[in-house]
Amino acid sequence: MIASRRELWLGRVLLVVLMLVTVMPFVSLFVTALHESGTYPPGLAWPEVLHWSNFATAFQSAQMGKLLVSSVLIELGVVPVALLIGTLAGFAIGHLRPPGGRWIFLAFLLGLTLPFEGVIVPLYYQIRDMGLLNTRWAIILPLIGLYMPFAVFWMRAHFVNMPDDVSEAARIDGATTWQLFWRIHLPLSMPALSSLGILMFLWTWNQFLLAVVLVDDPTKRTMAGALGAFQGQWGTDIPLLCAGSLLILLPTLVLFVVFQRQFVTALLQGSVKG
Amino acid sequence: MTATACSAPGGDNNNAANTQGSTSTSTAGGQPTCGTAPVKLKMYIETGFPLPKDLSDEFTKQYPNVTFDVREDQFAVITQNAPRVLVDDPPDLMRLPQVSELAKDNLLLNLDPYATAFGWDKWPQSQLEQMRVNADGSRGDGPLYAMGLNFSMTGVFYNKKLAQQIGMTAAPTTLAELDQDLQKAKDAGIVGIAQFNGGATGGLAFPLQNLMAAYGDPAPINDWIFQKKGASIDTPTNLQAAEHLDKWIKAGYFAKDINSFDYATMMSRFIGGKSLFIFDGDWESGNLDKQMAGNAGFFIMPPAQAGGKQAAMSAPLTYGISAKAANPDCAAFFLNWVATNDKARTIAVQVGGSHPMGPADAFMPPVEANTVTAQTLDAGAKIGKDNGAMDFIANATGAIYAKSWTPNLQKMVAGQQTPQGLLTAVQKDYESEIGG
Amino acid sequence: MSQQRLDRTDADSREVTAPDAEAFERRRRALRARRLRRGWVAWALVVPAAAFYVVFVLKPIVLTVQYSFYDWDGVTAASWVGLGNYAKLLQDPELGGSIVHAFELILYFSFIPVALGLATAAIIRKFATSRISVVSRTVLFLPQIIPLVAAGIMWTWLLSTDGLVNQVLRAVGLGSITRAWLGDFHTALPAVGVIGAWVLFGLCMLLLLAGMTKIDPSLYEAARIDGAGAWREFFSITLPSLRQEVGVCLTVTVIAALASFDIVYISTQGGPGNATLVPGLEIYYLAFFQRQVGTASALAVALMLLVLAVVLPLQRLNRTGDS
Repeated sequence: MIASRRELWLGRVLLVVLMLVTVMPFVSLFVTALHESGTYPPGLAWPEVLHWSNFATAFQSAQMGKLLVSSVLIELGVVPVALLIGTLAGFAIGHLRPPGGRWIFLAFLLGLTLPFEGVIVPLYYQIRDMGLLNTRWAIILPLIGLYMPFAVFWMRAHFVNMPDDVSEAARIDGATTWQLFWRIHLPLSMPALSSLGILMFLWTWNQFLLAVVLVDDPTKRTMAGALGAFQGQWGTDIPLLCAGSLLILLPTLVLFVVFQRQFVTALLQGSVKG
Repeated sequence: MTATACSAPGGDNNNAANTQGSTSTSTAGGQPTCGTAPVKLKMYIETGFPLPKDLSDEFTKQYPNVTFDVREDQFAVITQNAPRVLVDDPPDLMRLPQVSELAKDNLLLNLDPYATAFGWDKWPQSQLEQMRVNADGSRGDGPLYAMGLNFSMTGVFYNKKLAQQIGMTAAPTTLAELDQDLQKAKDAGIVGIAQFNGGATGGLAFPLQNLMAAYGDPAPINDWIFQKKGASIDTPTNLQAAEHLDKWIKAGYFAKDINSFDYATMMSRFIGGKSLFIFDGDWESGNLDKQMAGNAGFFIMPPAQAGGKQAAMSAPLTYGISAKAANPDCAAFFLNWVATNDKARTIAVQVGGSHPMGPADAFMPPVEANTVTAQTLDAGAKIGKDNGAMDFIANATGAIYAKSWTPNLQKMVAGQQTPQGLLTAVQKDYESEIGG
Repeated sequence: MSQQRLDRTDADSREVTAPDAEAFERRRRALRARRLRRGWVAWALVVPAAAFYVVFVLKPIVLTVQYSFYDWDGVTAASWVGLGNYAKLLQDPELGGSIVHAFELILYFSFIPVALGLATAAIIRKFATSRISVVSRTVLFLPQIIPLVAAGIMWTWLLSTDGLVNQVLRAVGLGSITRAWLGDFHTALPAVGVIGAWVLFGLCMLLLLAGMTKIDPSLYEAARIDGAGAWREFFSITLPSLRQEVGVCLTVTVIAALASFDIVYISTQGGPGNATLVPGLEIYYLAFFQRQVGTASALAVALMLLVLAVVLPLQRLNRTGDS
């Protein structure tokens, strides 16, 4: 495509400006984190003395080690299970197409646009009656349920689009349903599965509402929930708050940089299909 | 699914209500103790104030079998969490906002047995009356539901250097003098009052209530806070106070961005010399003596007429025991220790800046003259003499501060609420809350 | 085992050319048995997902509706109030206001990212494969992967009295309009909106860009030959071809706006003076702080219905897409 020089420059300038706007908050956070703890540094000002120790202090006061372990535990509780049962259901509805499958699918669709605030009140009492308040299960179990509409929707779409010849051939070769699923469909589903996995990983890591309402102890929350608690506790000390926020952001940022392509694909596809 | 869906929610609920009273001490008669076996007290405290931590550290030093599992949050967060936490994650000791609803719903342990066992009932009763709640939920009498770590005094802190700059040589003795000082500050380009008023914490409630006390009698204000029948905040003298506050706002005596900043920002600005006055409490005295040594002064809000009686907000630093707490005896023992142990009383004054609880003739640590701490302790004596202690208007009900005072005061700052509108709105919210 | 044998019979029967009635009957029976078995297997595979869904989504939805007809403090027994809580939604300016605010946020969360995203994508489409635009993809995506809480914390600091935003304004001679953006009645809600726009812009831009690269270039060539300018090109080719992508962007962002909670919770707590109170936050306050569980549930029901009412019509954009 031919574009005039002026258009090209205009485009580049626009891009740079947009990138600056996107990055500035992170820069501001970083610079502020280097100021003396307890001060109110004005805007974006480079500190005379770099207080790197803020990161160590924040690491300790935020109990970063524990937070990481907690978030990982929650991820491990949510993502594999949700992936597995979402895939099974998607396979069943999308490929096996049982009688009445359409209705089940519609029932799942009902939850696709549900704002979590809509169910948070009864969820609180349900979790309380199960005796799970303030445990990681209080986040894990509901999240699996809340992800089901999307997971089933996503995997069904994938299995519906799988050409029938593949499975017909396997059937003729005498494969059982299980073999069919495990040997043929699953390997072919890896791209769809990994995207879904990344999405659920991010949603869980960033989940805030459930953490705030159902789990009081920040060391039993997700990262976003812990960050909320960190703000609640250290919001009075801006440099420390900034240092802590950065630390809490760090794992996702690192993962994002490493698995950039997968993240971008997952998020783009995720919203198209969602 | 259908089983729960058919019955009314809460109908088959058997939590807090049943535990009430059953937690009476096993050592009834004698004084409860922490025993000798290891105990872990679960404590939920307010961030930003070192007092409870210092006290718990000292306590562990004296009673090594007792350790503390401390959780911290900002006061606004605690206020929001209180009812839930008390039922579902019960702490042994918890910083409490306002006890009437919590007590009415049986979320708090009745401390009367401890009061008798430890002899708290022989202390000056004004110290405890804010934490007594009777059966209909009004405060001032009835069973005791909380204890203080100390009791605070509020008033006006000023920056001595800035005061000198505007020629303020002595603390104002009348409201008119205070007005003049504010005007002089404004003329000199100095921010008069950088009072926090952002988020869910409307700090203008401090000057407002001080003005109420300058114009009127504190007793009816206390009645309103204690939820006595028929009490109203919408009175002629309170209207004068609100109008006076509005005058200050319109005159530009407050920092322009007060609606955007919180308590910590206020402290940082005041300590940084960016505000002549702030309305605050003696819990900052120790801190100010350290961070602005010799440069901070304190006075109680001056009366409208020279020589008039003075009043101030004064409230215990309230800590309660959950009705479902695991170690109520030990928690009560700790509270008693805070009020009666010499070391603890010293910490209460030097770290907390406020007067300790306890018998009138109990040990008092020496305080250096000319410090803010000394000034606030003196002020406490004066308020005692004038019988001018008030609880905070922010404490009238659990939600009145965050959901009524704060938004309406913020609106007043923005010129979207009138003084009369403010009082009407708050009274309406108050009635709907205690009525429903 | 039997499954295998059945399948084999199935396969064998295919080779029978003459209509052997007995074989045909046998095959039909086998097929039916297989479909039935498949049915049972399928149902069994759906059960775990359905169980979680029923317990943690459907049941809470039903309960929310049920609570909304009661006056309940969450502790003591509840009392039936019929539609009383819904009447409150209409009468209480605080509750109604929160819904109005949610709709105002759509302007910032949805329209700005979509409009700005369209403009940017249209411009950079022409050098979509250059290095700068590849880098930009990564950078513009950052806000999508961080928690909204973090976005809230960052921007609260940027928008404060001494924050970067005011610093920049002063530097370019606009000192007179500086203010505490989140603490001013007129600017607090837009400021919250700007945070949302910052978060959602990258996603929208990249979605739209991806859509644009799929447009057949010959369409543009044809337009050029017809002498169409950039504007006409955009409105007669680009925009119509992007119906589906625009629909997706609007759906995602509208839900984000109506159901906003994290950002507001962190940056303003609904203040000043309820100027930024949104339904999500009000539900939280009502249920867990003011302990008016019934009113909170009524608002939750209203919120769920509103999201459906706004999002369902948007799906028509997706259906009748380009083809």
